Amino acid sequence: MRKILPIFLCAVLLLSVAVSAAACNPDNVPTDELVVYNWADYIYDYKDDFYAYYKSLTGRNIKVTYVTFDTNETMLAKIMQGDAKVDVICPSEYAIQKLLEKDLLLPLNYFDEDKYVADMQADFAKYVHNGGNVDRNVLGKIDEAFGAVSVEGQDGTRKMSDYMVPYMYGTLGILYNKYAFIDSGIYDYGIMNKANWGILFNDDGDGNLLSNGLTGNILMKDSIRDSYAATLFYLKESGKLDGLTSTDESSSYYGKAYSELSVGEFINAVDDQLLSLCQQALTQQKEQLFGYEVDFGKDDLLKGNAMVDLAWSGDAMYAVEESWDDSLCAACSEERGERVYGEEQRDENGNKYYVCKHCQEECGDYELSYYVPHSAGNIWFDGWAIPKNTYNPEHLNAIKIFINFLNSPRVAAENMMEIGYSSAVDPEAVRQDADARATLSRVYLVDCDYWDKKDENGNDVAEFDYGSWEEFEEYFFDSRDVMDNSNWRYPFVLSDDETRALETLGVMRDFGVNNKAVVTMWNYARSTGENALPLLGWTALVLVVAAGIIVLCEYIKRLRNSKIKIAPAASGGESPDKSDE
Amino acid sequence: MTKLKFRFSRKAFAYPYMIFLLLFVVVPLVIVLINAFLGDDGKLTFANFAEFFSDKGGGLTVLGNSLIIGFVTTLICLVIGYPCAYFLAKYHASNKVLVLLFILPMWVNFLIRTLSTKAIFMALDVKLGMGTVMFGMVYNYLPYMILPLHTTLVSIDHSYIEAAEDLGADRFTVLWKTVLPLSVPGIVSGITMTFIPAISTFAISEILSSSKIFLFGDAINMHFSKTTNSFGVGSVMSLVMLFMVIIANVLVSLTEKKEEVKSSL
Repeated sequence: MRKILPIFLCAVLLLSVAVSAAACNPDNVPTDELVVYNWADYIYDYKDDFYAYYKSLTGRNIKVTYVTFDTNETMLAKIMQGDAKVDVICPSEYAIQKLLEKDLLLPLNYFDEDKYVADMQADFAKYVHNGGNVDRNVLGKIDEAFGAVSVEGQDGTRKMSDYMVPYMYGTLGILYNKYAFIDSGIYDYGIMNKANWGILFNDDGDGNLLSNGLTGNILMKDSIRDSYAATLFYLKESGKLDGLTSTDESSSYYGKAYSELSVGEFINAVDDQLLSLCQQALTQQKEQLFGYEVDFGKDDLLKGNAMVDLAWSGDAMYAVEESWDDSLCAACSEERGERVYGEEQRDENGNKYYVCKHCQEECGDYELSYYVPHSAGNIWFDGWAIPKNTYNPEHLNAIKIFINFLNSPRVAAENMMEIGYSSAVDPEAVRQDADARATLSRVYLVDCDYWDKKDENGNDVAEFDYGSWEEFEEYFFDSRDVMDNSNWRYPFVLSDDETRALETLGVMRDFGVNNKAVVTMWNYARSTGENALPLLGWTALVLVVAAGIIVLCEYIKRLRNSKIKIAPAASGGESPDKSDE
Repeated sequence: MTKLKFRFSRKAFAYPYMIFLLLFVVVPLVIVLINAFLGDDGKLTFANFAEFFSDKGGGLTVLGNSLIIGFVTTLICLVIGYPCAYFLAKYHASNKVLVLLFILPMWVNFLIRTLSTKAIFMALDVKLGMGTVMFGMVYNYLPYMILPLHTTLVSIDHSYIEAAEDLGADRFTVLWKTVLPLSVPGIVSGITMTFIPAISTFAISEILSSSKIFLFGDAINMHFSKTTNSFGVGSVMSLVMLFMVIIANVLVSLTEKKEEVKSSL
């Protein structure tokens, strides 16, 4: 009996393993694998859709392992050391350039359909190549910015678009509290367009303070590259670079005046002269700062702790949408130059709404807003690429199907709704695609504000912000900022806009050999300014005062003691000391 | 044929932790040491040390600031903490709730405490800066000063104090000549327990000054997480930090030997 029991237990164990294995794979179809290495929260809930898509093309199952990184640098370190077993990555453009230069990427050729599908195993009756969906503006901008990339240990040069598939893109700009700006009297296109990046430095463009209210209310991004770009633009606008020429001997524009460089060239300029000016500007900026933000920027702006923040468009978009306030009257506030709140009213269902006492209209506005200065700006891209030394060649088919899946208009629409950035898939393709429209409608028209509102029978009684697809389409694709008529979601739409040309948006390449110098500059700028020496001085002062008080107390005590001694002696009596003895 | 014997003694229970220490403390330290001497090209170099000690990236300035902030924090903690621990020890027998009140904040995660402190400051319209950081530091590290002091003070034999009183010392002299010298081990361990974390902290300064005040911990953090090719300088800075910890520990062990009264903490 004692021997039978363990055997019995083992049998039960084996059986349960077999059963669970069968449960995982009920139809006995072989399972492929794929390891995706991406930013956190940077994709929608794709699993079911992708599994179905993969199965329809190959007849096989797929198991996706999703790993995340939080900075490009952590990703780069892992890929370069080759100790991460990942098949496909989604870093920013400069990180892709860096990997390509080190010869660490596999050619994708996504935009050459024949090459891409040549070694693929799929049911091509069902396969639709989505390469054509990708916005050609985006591709053009990338190839223009990076040009011919030379690869370590390889002859000739490479084109970035052969190695990456753009995923999301956005701009760098200024997220600001519109109503704080109204209160300070600087919510005006003329004023803001003159100050431009100077808003972050509280500089009105002429070297004067933009507004006293901004002092101590500005947030700067704790990111070396973004802060460097913003500072460069500020230096150029404020005339601090006038008459100076590039001292970077390795660049093609050596000896040229900074003012003559295109935005694309200027944003990538690094030399000692620029670095020392940047350091100076960033050190001076400290007096105006609330602080540097990593993750808390949105919250600080929404809570009113700060008024201005350097932000990426997607984050800004999210913050703006969060900042809706029912009680603010936009039109009257702008007209009167101060915050105008409406009066609370109730409709027949008891729901609150606000009516402005001046214009008698229903109130409601976004408290925050986003501004991309018109003089110059930065546009960035994240894209998919295959790291040569860490991918598993057996997974190549799954990688290719995954990338193609992401570029279908419907998936692009899902991703845009989930992440908030603009997908590199052509907005026209999304707009025309019936599935994509249905997705956007589902998310926005049906599920919007009160998506989980149900009556007692469990039926949806959600209220909708948008009455029709057309109304929503206008909001989503053609939304213009009232201030400068710019389209945040689709900066490329600006190219046919008179207020700004596409040339004013530059792509930032990797700092390359200058990386260390920039990091050193940033570290120095961060380290100085707030000095602890006064603290030491104050402490010393307090110590001296405390010591002085103690000595004084002792002195007074002794003085009193000696008086007590003397007093009885004078009256002829015995001293207390004596009586003790 | 000799039989290999494995004797299962009580020592064996320590092995898992020994292995853990070896893997996660000793090995990383060796990696830090190696990284400090590696250049960008992977060759042996002293360039990282040169870069740090020439203060090109402001590393020394930051170290100076951190040391000052750590020193002042420790001083304030000592000045506030000693009387506090003294009275806690004096009324120990009758009032254990009081001791509990002082330990209570340590049960709440320090990040939560610091974030709440920030929220309070923001609500009161206090400008974030050096003052708020100092407040946060003292608030966070005060228990680490009070507890070792309290343990030492409680363990002082009361007959010493009675003896001093019998010999005619007034209350101040008893404190100055008897209690204070006997509590030196507690003071030393309190100072190390406050000073060492205070110079290496970065979360408190980051939250309570919105990252405006940049400390040594921030600088090390930046070299590792925000860049790919300055692990070398970051490693040098970590070594400097480690060096200071070792010095502090040597000082502690010296005073402990001299006083021959071991603090129980």
